[in-house]
Amino acid sequence: MHALQSDSPLIVYIDIKSPYAFVAIAPTLQLEAELGLAFDWRPLTLDIPSYLGSARKKAGKVVESKRSPAQWNAVRYAYRDARRYAEMQGHMLKGTEKIWDTRQVNTAILWVNRVARDRLAAFLTHVYPAFWRRELDVEDMSVVEACLAAAGVPVAGFAGWCEGEGRQAHDALQAQLHPAGIYGVPTYVFEGEILFGREHLPYVRWHLTGRQGPAPDIAYEVAGC
Amino acid sequence: MLSLFIDFKCPASYLALDPTVALAARHGTGISWQAFRSRQEAIPAERADETRGETHRRVRALQRRATHSKYAGLRGLEMAFRADPGESDAALSALNCHLADPLAYVRRAFRAYWMEGADLNDAQTVFSLLEETGNPVGQGELAAARAGFDGYQTEMEEAGIFITPTYRLADQTFVGREHLPLIGRLLEQGVAGEV
Repeated sequence: MHALQSDSPLIVYIDIKSPYAFVAIAPTLQLEAELGLAFDWRPLTLDIPSYLGSARKKAGKVVESKRSPAQWNAVRYAYRDARRYAEMQGHMLKGTEKIWDTRQVNTAILWVNRVARDRLAAFLTHVYPAFWRRELDVEDMSVVEACLAAAGVPVAGFAGWCEGEGRQAHDALQAQLHPAGIYGVPTYVFEGEILFGREHLPYVRWHLTGRQGPAPDIAYEVAGC
Repeated sequence: MLSLFIDFKCPASYLALDPTVALAARHGTGISWQAFRSRQEAIPAERADETRGETHRRVRALQRRATHSKYAGLRGLEMAFRADPGESDAALSALNCHLADPLAYVRRAFRAYWMEGADLNDAQTVFSLLEETGNPVGQGELAAARAGFDGYQTEMEEAGIFITPTYRLADQTFVGREHLPLIGRLLEQGVAGEV
């Protein structure tokens, strides 16, 4: 798998532990359905402590932190911002208690692509909202398997694949991302263009529908606006 | 009134200018231009021994610059990035003076930085920009604003501003022009901003 190449007209990189990826799922799936296309959804497992410091909360209180005041401001704003848009989508977004290891659940995206691509939307719309309601321990293999099953994805063989071939495919992809210019989620890739953030969806739509008229500016699209 | 915190050397602030002015005009609301010193750094060269975090920040900085240039190009907007972004405190301080036509000054200062390579930390340059845009500000007033700028910046940081462009409307904070559709909706609903 090449980080910038696909048979699909659009590659979408996501990570379940990103609140910005969460609020991008619905509008991106909506665009995919609206255009009748199959996007190439892929995992980008963020290494958050390497660039945004780390922290651990217990019962809502920070019990360990390696973040500067500026990093805290950015993180707090990111959650507040994502929460207001999640609520507009009818979802709850609870602040996370720790930085999750999401390699397993992200590798499951590759599994769904492999065995039941037509169930990917069901998987994403099942796993993301539940994770952000703090209902899922995505580090637990049985929980990830249950999510796959709930989305109608065959589970037999997943655990072994995830720890072997799937992990290798996941890790090989991650190693390509920084050199390719990809650093965050959601990231949209088409024809060599790399766009970070769902604010580019108007431009992505404009591109995928034939570039008619002037190119739109970045925007978080809001229904009715 | 919609409050907008900007920094002239911030590319995202520059790109937010026209869409924000257009939105405010559509909704018949004013814009309160607020200064905030953003952190703009030169993009470091790639090093063999850089940490994962350093790689992330370098790649992010390169991609952000490319994205800003892309949208500027789509709009036909000239945007010359500098190897060293420099400082813009003197020009920002002027926003804390009484200005007869702040929009004219804001437009002129952005153009001076992004198209003309002006030094916006030079008091004489800023004084000229103010005069040119019909904003007669005394040298003393400008000097006083410059002297008080660090204190003002601290006050804004304590108020929760950490980046530009930041919009404040009523009790809500929005970072980036991508929020303009939601801000427009709030204005339509009659949500009043800060003054």
